[in-house]
Amino acid sequence: MQLMDTVLIVDDESAIREIFTLYLERKGFKPHAASGGLECLDLLKTQTPDLILLDLMMEPMDGWETLLGIRQYPPSSQIPVIIITGKQPTSEDILQYGGLIEDFIVKPVDFKIICESFHRIIENDRELVREIDRIWNREQDTGLLTEYASLIRLVNVTKNLEKRLNDRQCIDQIPLKKLEERLQELNKKLGFTEHLQEQNEA
Amino acid sequence: MTEKIRILIVEDELLVAEDLKEMLLGFGYEVSGIADTGEMAIALVDEKHPNLVLMDINLASAMDGITAGRDIRLRRGIPIIYVTSFATQAIIDRAKKTHPSGYILKPFNERQIQTAIEIALYNNELEERVNENEITIRTLANAIPDAVMLLDHNRQVIALNNAMACRLGYNYTGIQRDSAVNIDRDGMFTSLESRFKDLISSGLPIRFEEQNLDKWFEISLIPISRSDEQNSCIFVQYHDITDHKRFEGSLKKEGITQIEKNMEQFQTLNDQIRNPLQAIMGYVNLDGLLYREHILNQVKQIDSLVNRLDRGWVESGKVKQFLLRHYLDNPDDLPNPKSRENCGGCS
Repeated sequence: MQLMDTVLIVDDESAIREIFTLYLERKGFKPHAASGGLECLDLLKTQTPDLILLDLMMEPMDGWETLLGIRQYPPSSQIPVIIITGKQPTSEDILQYGGLIEDFIVKPVDFKIICESFHRIIENDRELVREIDRIWNREQDTGLLTEYASLIRLVNVTKNLEKRLNDRQCIDQIPLKKLEERLQELNKKLGFTEHLQEQNEA
Repeated sequence: MTEKIRILIVEDELLVAEDLKEMLLGFGYEVSGIADTGEMAIALVDEKHPNLVLMDINLASAMDGITAGRDIRLRRGIPIIYVTSFATQAIIDRAKKTHPSGYILKPFNERQIQTAIEIALYNNELEERVNENEITIRTLANAIPDAVMLLDHNRQVIALNNAMACRLGYNYTGIQRDSAVNIDRDGMFTSLESRFKDLISSGLPIRFEEQNLDKWFEISLIPISRSDEQNSCIFVQYHDITDHKRFEGSLKKEGITQIEKNMEQFQTLNDQIRNPLQAIMGYVNLDGLLYREHILNQVKQIDSLVNRLDRGWVESGKVKQFLLRHYLDNPDDLPNPKSRENCGGCS
């Protein structure tokens, strides 16, 4: 029997936590909720969710700080994170954190649609982690692997934002073409399966 | 009606004195008095304020005419004409040093006396006018808070005002006609030398800003050309703009701080508006209401408005970056150092 995937919602707005919980349950997830960054990091000491949905503008610890906390704590360092926020990102934000997240979603969105996509995102991420583990054992240059893992996420996040937002201003400083070329190069060099690069869109 | 010219006679020979008095009255002058000693001459000058003194040198007193004449010249500036039978070189040398207006040898005639007096009075008037002009110019120059000086074509100081002397720490008279670089202090004039060449070749005024120690100056170099190139000079002005610079700096800092605050508020508000929108969308989709589509359309409209606010925020970020790049000399001394949340911007 397959266990239900667990999703941790981190948002300081109770209505958002409540609705997410309802939708996630309907789509076959086991939801947990935290009302802030500190509570989230605290929860991760006892639980290892399969996906984290993270708000950005929270006090006193904001979403980016929480994200770094999640990545620095070994048990949670590999958990996929999706940013869901009312704050439009800047190119700077994406270049800095895009490699650490699966997607960046600006509210409001249709929860039904995005919750459906979570299964696929979790699966894709597991596959990426498996591939990396596989290549890790034979690859001398682990720096290239780390770069690949970060780059494939950054490219995905940027392409998703480009597709979803009418307004390109927030990503116009990201050299997407160059990043994609580098990703192709690494993909070939390291021998990843091609379909990893298919979009991981929520 | 013009006042009569008053003349004091200093003569210890009574007959000569009376003769002179008659002569002067005949010319239409007023005689302020007759003194027969040097001491008395000084006392009468102080009392009567004559316009001119006819002074015998050899007097029957401890104080001779030259000593009394020097005192009167120095303290009162009244023109002196020596009338004497002595003319040794030593006496003439002594007399010369008191800047007399004339020197008449006895025996004299009326014409000599009248001509000497008229020329002395005329020269004295000219001298007074020149003095007045100098005082006026000096007053004007010192009324300017800026440090100014006038240099000749060899960069030697022709004149400077008190403010400049004060900055240089010298007294005014001590440095006239000295080379500007020689009197320089704290490297104030270091940058001038290279600009002089431009100034001379172009003949156009030069203005630039410069920091010297803790002060900021706007320095103007203005060429003043004369028909004779040797006489052309350069006017140098140091205008203190330290306060202006400080004010400008703080204004820019405040402006940028304000933009940062606005941007932060924009972001927080947009985030807060999107939360209820998300909640409404979630609830509406959940319950399958009759007017679900209408409600979602309204939500979409509000969302597009918030997106417009977002664009404003991005623009503010660009304005801020622009200000930082173009106006702040040192972005590090911003009151609020660059932080991730309030300093987004796309560049």
